Amino acid sequence: MSDQTFNANPTVFALTKSAKRRAAKELLWLSQSDESDYDSGDEFEPIDGDEVFDLIRSISDPEHRSLTLEQLAVVSAPQITVTDQRNHIMVEFTPTVPHCGMSTLIGLSIRVRLMRSLPARFKVDIRVKPGSHNSEHGVNKQLNDKERVAAALENPALVEALEVCLATASRRGQPVEAGPY
Amino acid sequence: MEAAQRLIQTWVATPRDEEVEIAASGISQGNIKLVHIVQGLGEYLTSDDDDLRNKGVEFLAKVIGKVPTEHLNRQAVVVLLSFFMSKLEDLDTIIPALKGLLALSRLSSLSDEGVIIILNGIFKHVKMQSLVQAQRFIVFSIIDNLLAIRRQVLKVMGNDFITGYVALAEGEKDPRNLMLAFAIDRVILIEFDIKEKIEDLFNITACYFPISFRPPPDDPYGITADDLKKALRSCLNANAAFGPPAIALFLEKLATVAPPTKWDALATLDECLPVYGASSVRNAARQLWNALKLEIFQPTDPLTEEAALKSVQVVIKTIYSSSSENPSQDLEGLAKDACHECITILKEPEKSQAQPAMKILCAFISTTPSVSHHTVSHVIPHLIKLFLNPDEVPNRGASLNLLASFIAALRDSAIKFPDVNASSLVPYKDEVLGVFTTGLQTPSSAGPAISGLHALVTMAGLLDEDEIGFVVSNVNGVLSNDREDSVGVDALDLLTTISIISPVHVSSTTLPLLFSLLPDRAPSRGDAASREKSWSVLNSLSRLCIQPVLFETLVIRLSTKLNLLCDPLSPPTDDDVEPSAAYAHAILSTLATVLEKKVSRGDSDVAKYIDRLVSGLVVLFLGGAVSPKDPSTLPIADSRLVIVAARIVNLIAAVLPAQKQESFIQKLYSAYVLGDLKALSTSARHIWPDGSSFAPFERGATTVQANTLCLFSEALLALHKEVRVPADPSVFLEMLVQFSVDGAKALLHRESAWHIIASVVNKRVTELDGFLKSMLESFYQTAIADASVDVDLRRYAIGAWAWTCKGLLVQNHAQTAVFIERLIDLFDDEAVNWDAARAVGSVAAQCNALTKSNHSTLKILHAQRYSNSVLSRFIEGAKTYAGSKQNAHLVALTFLIRSVPKTAYAHKMPTAGPSAYILLPLLLCGLELPDTEIRTSVIETLLSAAEADTATDAKHSKEGSLVTEHATSLTLTMLKNISIATVSDAKVRIAALRYLTILPKIVRYDALHPQKAIVLRDLSKALDDPKRAVRKEAVDARYSRYI
Repeated sequence: MSDQTFNANPTVFALTKSAKRRAAKELLWLSQSDESDYDSGDEFEPIDGDEVFDLIRSISDPEHRSLTLEQLAVVSAPQITVTDQRNHIMVEFTPTVPHCGMSTLIGLSIRVRLMRSLPARFKVDIRVKPGSHNSEHGVNKQLNDKERVAAALENPALVEALEVCLATASRRGQPVEAGPY
Repeated sequence: MEAAQRLIQTWVATPRDEEVEIAASGISQGNIKLVHIVQGLGEYLTSDDDDLRNKGVEFLAKVIGKVPTEHLNRQAVVVLLSFFMSKLEDLDTIIPALKGLLALSRLSSLSDEGVIIILNGIFKHVKMQSLVQAQRFIVFSIIDNLLAIRRQVLKVMGNDFITGYVALAEGEKDPRNLMLAFAIDRVILIEFDIKEKIEDLFNITACYFPISFRPPPDDPYGITADDLKKALRSCLNANAAFGPPAIALFLEKLATVAPPTKWDALATLDECLPVYGASSVRNAARQLWNALKLEIFQPTDPLTEEAALKSVQVVIKTIYSSSSENPSQDLEGLAKDACHECITILKEPEKSQAQPAMKILCAFISTTPSVSHHTVSHVIPHLIKLFLNPDEVPNRGASLNLLASFIAALRDSAIKFPDVNASSLVPYKDEVLGVFTTGLQTPSSAGPAISGLHALVTMAGLLDEDEIGFVVSNVNGVLSNDREDSVGVDALDLLTTISIISPVHVSSTTLPLLFSLLPDRAPSRGDAASREKSWSVLNSLSRLCIQPVLFETLVIRLSTKLNLLCDPLSPPTDDDVEPSAAYAHAILSTLATVLEKKVSRGDSDVAKYIDRLVSGLVVLFLGGAVSPKDPSTLPIADSRLVIVAARIVNLIAAVLPAQKQESFIQKLYSAYVLGDLKALSTSARHIWPDGSSFAPFERGATTVQANTLCLFSEALLALHKEVRVPADPSVFLEMLVQFSVDGAKALLHRESAWHIIASVVNKRVTELDGFLKSMLESFYQTAIADASVDVDLRRYAIGAWAWTCKGLLVQNHAQTAVFIERLIDLFDDEAVNWDAARAVGSVAAQCNALTKSNHSTLKILHAQRYSNSVLSRFIEGAKTYAGSKQNAHLVALTFLIRSVPKTAYAHKMPTAGPSAYILLPLLLCGLELPDTEIRTSVIETLLSAAEADTATDAKHSKEGSLVTEHATSLTLTMLKNISIATVSDAKVRIAALRYLTILPKIVRYDALHPQKAIVLRDLSKALDDPKRAVRKEAVDARYSRYI
């Protein structure tokens, strides 16, 4: 990666709360514990946009390691569309500046995270938000071309940079805990 | 003479300390003269053989070292000195000569000239590079000794001494010698006139910065890097003249990449700058600021950032502490520039750089009064202006966020310097308050506004009563808006804080508002929005109403609502009673939650609610149960309500004094056992319909009546030991046992009875000989062991038996073993062995019935004691028997392990040591049992063991985690438990996935590698699990396998 700075002082956004899901059936009783979250019968809970967002929200920004993609509003829940029946997921992301050279890396980190975390039946499309990047077409092409993604993942330096960004992904929107220092 | 000669000869032949001791004591007793020894040594001292010469000098040096100082007079010292000095010139005897000089350097009889001679000799003849560590140590020790007792002489030597010493110390590398050298350096730097030698001294100290020493493993000398760092810092901060070069050096080191070096550099700066003084620091202010700024704006890690902020404070304090303390004076220099720079960054409050800029400004507040004043008077107006600027409306949230953190910092530092900071905010108080209350109106800025108000309110003495009232009324507005996010919670926290400072505003404005939002009638089944709303109001109330005066209002208002909802005389008109029951349940839960908090806080006002709340509840439920209309159509018929009400009864009854408990329980006893409801309430209201009968223990009692047993049971549990139930305990318990076996219709009723049994057995065992005897003699035979009895009845009887055991076990009663033995006898009986095994396994589990707050007799370590008595037996049984009996042992084992503290069985777990592999294979067998509850508990046991392993970092310890050996079978078993196709219980799948996540943390990679592919494949199936929570764990488990 080059040492060039693309956006030294990006705007920081407040974190959103984790999506609150209502069970489909009528809730009459105030439940005492949170256990009922997953113990409520055999109900099928399909994968939705919020769940996909939870997977990628806490990926670190490659340029600002202490900030997450969510904090920089690169990804957001409304920008994700899941069509469970057709096994299709569309993720759109917004680079902080139109000339951001890290866009491909960000897109790739989203792709790798989803590759590892979603059932293989899904086809995932990743795009930059239309009009938000100078070389929009090139970035989209790189991110959605199987061969190119595979080639990129052969590059050890790139994979190392990816793993650093992905290390925070399992926080799922929770703020950083006090470090082990 | 001969004696000396003999000693010398012996020693030269075989050097032992013994001869030295004898010679030294001889000299001190006067038997041997020093001169004899010198004479005796003559032939050796002049020998041509290097080795002999060396030995001769060494013997003398050793003897001198041992002789008490008073036996060496001035004369002798002069002689010895000149002798050792002459030997110093001889390359072969230099080492023993140094030892001799070390001995002499301790002597007070050494003359000033002698000191100078020694030093000059050393400076002239000793080449440090050619000596080994121990010898160099002697040289440093000589100088250290002289510095300690002859400092004046050394000072007179002045530059000659320093030059000589610098030459000696230069290039020293051994930590042991350095510790000594640093100590010497510090004395020289502080006490000597070093004007001309500053550079030399700086060179021999600063060259060691930063210390990168790492002690070798098993270091016998015990010198740590920290010791060296501290010693070196004490040199670097010893003289202000080091200032300019040292600051440059520190900044250079700060620019390195390694965080430990940065921390060291920052910590050293903190210690040194105050010594170097304002002028040095002022000269380097720009460079310091630029370097520190970088660490704050682009922090490598949180710790460096924090340390850099602290260093900034030190810099500012050093520069400005000496200047006049007049805060009104205009500030010049670094603080002004830096403040200005940060405020410029704050012009874009929403950008990422604004946060660190604000951190710096917050750090400025706790420096000096003048800087603090300057910062406050610039930052607050700036942020207020920003907030009010119409162009910046979208960024109001960010501006308020910054303002809130600034005021919080101001509040925290006000605790340290109360007079300065609190007053500096006063001129802006109204504006700040206005900005925050305006911010409350918009959703995006409400959160920061609330934290800002929180900071304002908690700043002692800033706001007066009226202003607090103003804050409360504004925050009320936030509460009444329907807010989904965390703002509502924060607003409640703020109000709770205010209710501690001044409850009157909350009780007079907030509570009426909240109560007005609570409907009198339950929202109908389809009206989920109103239901949600009333839940959130109740939740708010439960957080807010902890203070006594607020709680009183809460109880009054909620009891009224409850009576309206559940009144047996005017039941809800529509047919659907469930929403009313659910609403009443939510109200009762709210009361119970607040009471739990109050009890854990130890509030003294809880006890009075026995009259104001409990009596009312009992009357409400019992009145409903005997209602002439069909009680089962009333809301109180729902067992969930009784359970919460019983919890309230228990919480309040437990804090009553014994006397009050006695009168309370008498009334309940009359009602429940004797059917005398009038005993409960003598109030004028006719609640009890004529001719109604209340007999919950009767076989034919209605479910509603039997449900209320729960209240009786929870009240009985809370009794002090000395409070008596007005009946013969044996007869009472026999009645309860009988009721629980064949009278009760539901688990709730049975459990109510069982809890009473356990509690009475626990507290009154001395009076229960008759009961225990009849249990063992007749009840066991007729109700439990007799195979012709209905299996369900036998199960209930086992339940009653187990609870009796519990009451005995927690007090370590001698009869416990007899009762347990009878249960183990049942392991052969296929019809009930599973139930018996479960009972035996979980009898030591914690339960809510027998607790300290319920005044039970609890012996410490009773669970450990029990587990010691049965654990090995279950293990043996599980290994030796087969079929159903083996399963029974396995079941007992897993339940036992789940129910007792980990220490009770840890010695059998793999973590304990290589010899103890006993449990793990058995637990793996347990995982094959069909019962999902057992499987969950086994996996959870394994999980908690694994967590202990990660805590001790067993993976990197020498023998590694002992799970390693079973890693393969564990992995495969867990994989069987994660598939929806084979395991329908989500809890099991989640537990198994968690175990797969933690396994790589405790087992080395090479043990897991063979299964990597299959694990990843099976986990990818779990990624498509229908349950969201399972998928989440699967993602984490998969991620843990990628790294």
